[in-house]
Amino acid sequence: MTTVESPAAATRGIRLDPSSLAQTWAMSKRSTLALWRQPSLVVPSLIFPLFFAALGTSSFSRATALPGFPAVDSYLDFALAGAVVQGILFGSTVGATALATDIENGFFDRLLSSPSTRSGIIVGRMAGGMVFGGAQTLFFILVLLPFGLSVKGGIAGVVAMIIGGTVLALAVGALMSAMAIKTGSSEAVQGAFPLLFIALFFSSAFFPRETMSGVYGTLADVNPISHLVEGFRDLTIEGFSGSAVIRAILIPAGLAVLTVALALRTLNNRLGAR
Amino acid sequence: MTGVGASVHRIGSIVWHDVLMPDTTLPIVAEGLQRHFGSGDDIVKAVDGVDLRIEQGEIFGFLGPNGAGKSTTVRMLTTLLRPTGGVGRVAGFDVVSQANEVRRNIGVALQDAAIDPLMTGAELLKLQAVLYGLPKSQHAAKAGELLERVGLTAAGDRRVGTYSGGMRRRLDLALSLIHEPSVLFLDEPTTGLDPMSRISLWEEIRRLNNDGTTVMLTTQYLEEADQLAERIAIIDGGKIVRKGRPAELKAEVGSPTLFVSVDASASEHASALLASFGDLRPSAEGTLGVGLTEGPSAVSNVVRTLDEAGITVRNLELREPSLDDVFAEATGYRLEGADA
Repeated sequence: MTTVESPAAATRGIRLDPSSLAQTWAMSKRSTLALWRQPSLVVPSLIFPLFFAALGTSSFSRATALPGFPAVDSYLDFALAGAVVQGILFGSTVGATALATDIENGFFDRLLSSPSTRSGIIVGRMAGGMVFGGAQTLFFILVLLPFGLSVKGGIAGVVAMIIGGTVLALAVGALMSAMAIKTGSSEAVQGAFPLLFIALFFSSAFFPRETMSGVYGTLADVNPISHLVEGFRDLTIEGFSGSAVIRAILIPAGLAVLTVALALRTLNNRLGAR
Repeated sequence: MTGVGASVHRIGSIVWHDVLMPDTTLPIVAEGLQRHFGSGDDIVKAVDGVDLRIEQGEIFGFLGPNGAGKSTTVRMLTTLLRPTGGVGRVAGFDVVSQANEVRRNIGVALQDAAIDPLMTGAELLKLQAVLYGLPKSQHAAKAGELLERVGLTAAGDRRVGTYSGGMRRRLDLALSLIHEPSVLFLDEPTTGLDPMSRISLWEEIRRLNNDGTTVMLTTQYLEEADQLAERIAIIDGGKIVRKGRPAELKAEVGSPTLFVSVDASASEHASALLASFGDLRPSAEGTLGVGLTEGPSAVSNVVRTLDEAGITVRNLELREPSLDDVFAEATGYRLEGADA
């Protein structure tokens, strides 16, 4: 550590050695603990995607015979990817809402007035959402397995999906955090949630792109959610492949780089402009 | 920037350069500190050229009504807001270019006791210990010591959401002490507290100060500033309007103030009569205030004069100069909610 001597500077008698890794880890534990202590916030994002998957399986099972629909043993194999991404979009707003609440009640200022790194504060706050994103992915797979789901990618495919789910939770969580930092309002963050849902509906989360046409098809083609969903889907119905892993992990990772940068930039602007 | 200068002495053929460092030895210095919001016609000068020099080991009271610029000044000095002009130095470090060094050396308890309600008191203290880089072996002991110090040992393992307002404030203070800072910023630490909790927090602040901690205390309670602060500054409209020791500032006001309540219909007449006993001073609505040039002995004359003019006096109160008078003289109005 570099110590800077100053005549008036002093924390008396204590050797301080702030480590950004330890800070991020402690913040991560806090955000994970917060989710654990508020089950009412996380349970809906576990239930609703399963509900959608069950509804889809009972309503659309014959849709698997449509031209352009991939060959699957069960509609559930197709539906898993959509359920996972939907659950993560749902769940990752929880962390951002908590961040907005930190800002509203002033706890965020306490963190900012400590010698911790700004990225540690943001990523630490997102960590609970990341752990939850990975756990959601595993949860959906485990719950759907007895109902006919089969993951052709095997254990490696499941691991890749868990990693992808974790990184996606960071990407979406950071995007929503940027909004939390910008507005400082938990209502604004919750109010923005439908936008994520619209992005999800204009993707191949619920139907393959091959069955879409017109503006809907074009939007789904350019929507990164389509491509990462298809990465998850290929790991489920085709097997483990480099191309599927790249789409399932690298697309959310690329998005995460952009959204974390956006969140930090927003934080920087907030400190200067407020 | 801050008046750092040098003097040169010649002894024989040897030339001595004594570098003087008056400002960097002070725990808190602000020079022309500004924070403006917006631009053009819509510009809001929240803080407009604040100069402060707070001495090592003092409790400095920063007084002003809501919106005067107190919290904005503190936010700049605690690195939470960038100044738009001027210089701030805390613990010898620049608040903009050396923000992280400033953060290591200060303790901050901001308005409204900002604490995560989902965590327990002990958990929050341990988190704070990590953020400030205390050795892991000390976390539990330090948390226990601080909980004991602020009287929260029994509540340490309870979630903060179950704490009362006073308990939250005490925990907030404990959090700001985790790294034993030499400079402590307390932003309205007792706002909303009951009198008992307020007095217990005052005692803790005094104890900290006795241990050598420099405290910058913002408050809108004049009594609080009078009780605790060795020196005060009054801010109004983003500018410092008075600065000094409370006793000296009160002495500057000089004469005691007589507050007279009369019927509204007689107010104008009474006001004209009172003006002959001294300068009229701001007072609460329905009351007239006059600084008695001749001191308390003039009270009987005031009563007689009003009586002879046929004005019924509803209430009469003589007050020795208080910080409220200092404030009123500086700003032209009395501090709302003032209790001194």
